Amino acid sequence: MLKAAYRIAWKDVVGDLRRSSSLSSMLFFAVAVLVVFQAAFEPDRQSAVKLLPGLLWATVLFTSLMGLGRVFQAEEENGAFEGLLLASVPRGAVFLGKWLGNLLLTLLVQAMILPLTMILFNVDAWHVIHLIFGVLVLGILGLTGLGVLLAAMTQAARSRETLLALLLLPLVAPLLIAGVQATAGVMVVDGHPGPWIKLLLIFDTVYLALAPWGFSWLVEE
Amino acid sequence: MVHLAVTGLSHRFGRQQVLRGLDLTMAAGECVVLFGDNGSGKSTLLTLLSTRFAMQKGRYLLNGLDSADSGAEIRERLVFVSHNSHLYGHLTPVENLLFFADLRRLQCSDELLRETVSAVGLGKFADRPTRWFSAGMKKRLTLARVLLAKPALLLLDEPYSALDSQGVEWLNSMLNDFLAGGGMIVMASHDPQRVAALKHRPKFLQKGSLFDSKESANC
Repeated sequence: MLKAAYRIAWKDVVGDLRRSSSLSSMLFFAVAVLVVFQAAFEPDRQSAVKLLPGLLWATVLFTSLMGLGRVFQAEEENGAFEGLLLASVPRGAVFLGKWLGNLLLTLLVQAMILPLTMILFNVDAWHVIHLIFGVLVLGILGLTGLGVLLAAMTQAARSRETLLALLLLPLVAPLLIAGVQATAGVMVVDGHPGPWIKLLLIFDTVYLALAPWGFSWLVEE
Repeated sequence: MVHLAVTGLSHRFGRQQVLRGLDLTMAAGECVVLFGDNGSGKSTLLTLLSTRFAMQKGRYLLNGLDSADSGAEIRERLVFVSHNSHLYGHLTPVENLLFFADLRRLQCSDELLRETVSAVGLGKFADRPTRWFSAGMKKRLTLARVLLAKPALLLLDEPYSALDSQGVEWLNSMLNDFLAGGGMIVMASHDPQRVAALKHRPKFLQKGSLFDSKESANC
């Protein structure tokens, strides 16, 4: 099961890097958002610290939506999704592979965006950058888990990207709030990110436990 | 000895009854070719034999495995070559076969994958993305999976489409070898002439029922 999941993720990441499709557009979009915000607010160092968590998570959300909108793009070609389902591997392995591929690309984008954000907004939080990234990873785990399930659900729809956003946004709103609060918590000296990180872990557990099951049910029906 | 047995297979899409109580038995090394008009249910029957969808009514056994509780095990023992090639355009033929092999839990060396690509006449293109391949080349690569997986059952939906005369000859020779090795084939075709080179049992699908001759189908 793990080998099949790894191979599906490998196929997606290799495909994306060869076509430079999701990665480059996600990066370009994230940079554009950051530059616009910087130009619009021109925040000083103190207000930038308050702005940064929300800004980071808005970037995570919108870039993830871009990536999720294309997560099954390769499968549309030559009916390859049918081919995946004709394999004897459990449906959960197919989900795991698609999720891992999307997760890796999203994390790669955020790993590049986080330092760029701190430079652009002149935020002196380099000593906790690993903690901020850790919080982002926790949030992205659940966000992409649920997102891949919803992307599978909407892949046959005509305006699937709109539908995906409509379904995903209300469901991940609590996770985003927890992510913003946890990020703000790790950035300030006397912050209390603990409860928010626990909440993120709960969301991750729930989303990642339900999503493979939901995916299996969806493709069987 | 019977290796494939379908009894009372019925299937409907919404209100439309596509298949009506089909029975089919096959022994090892046998090829059944399904003929019938467009929409007669040939592709639906092949898809159900692939276990892609659960059967609504009837029973299907392959080498003693029941599709009701062993769908994944049955899928492991068959290859379905449908109208779609199931190939990834950004991957090369070798990478596409490696992907297929990993999903089938087959242990394949790079050398074996390259030999297989060469065996279907694509050796020169082994490292080029398949996006640029012609329909005939894609068909050959799709059929390469049969050589790799050595399945018990091969399901073919219009396998001769997109193949030139050389390709048809190559395919028939490959399929004859497959049958000689004890494999079973269920094929849907519109082309009796091209199938003639294969030792086969024709079956005719008409209004969801299976007949042994065209005459009885038209009655």
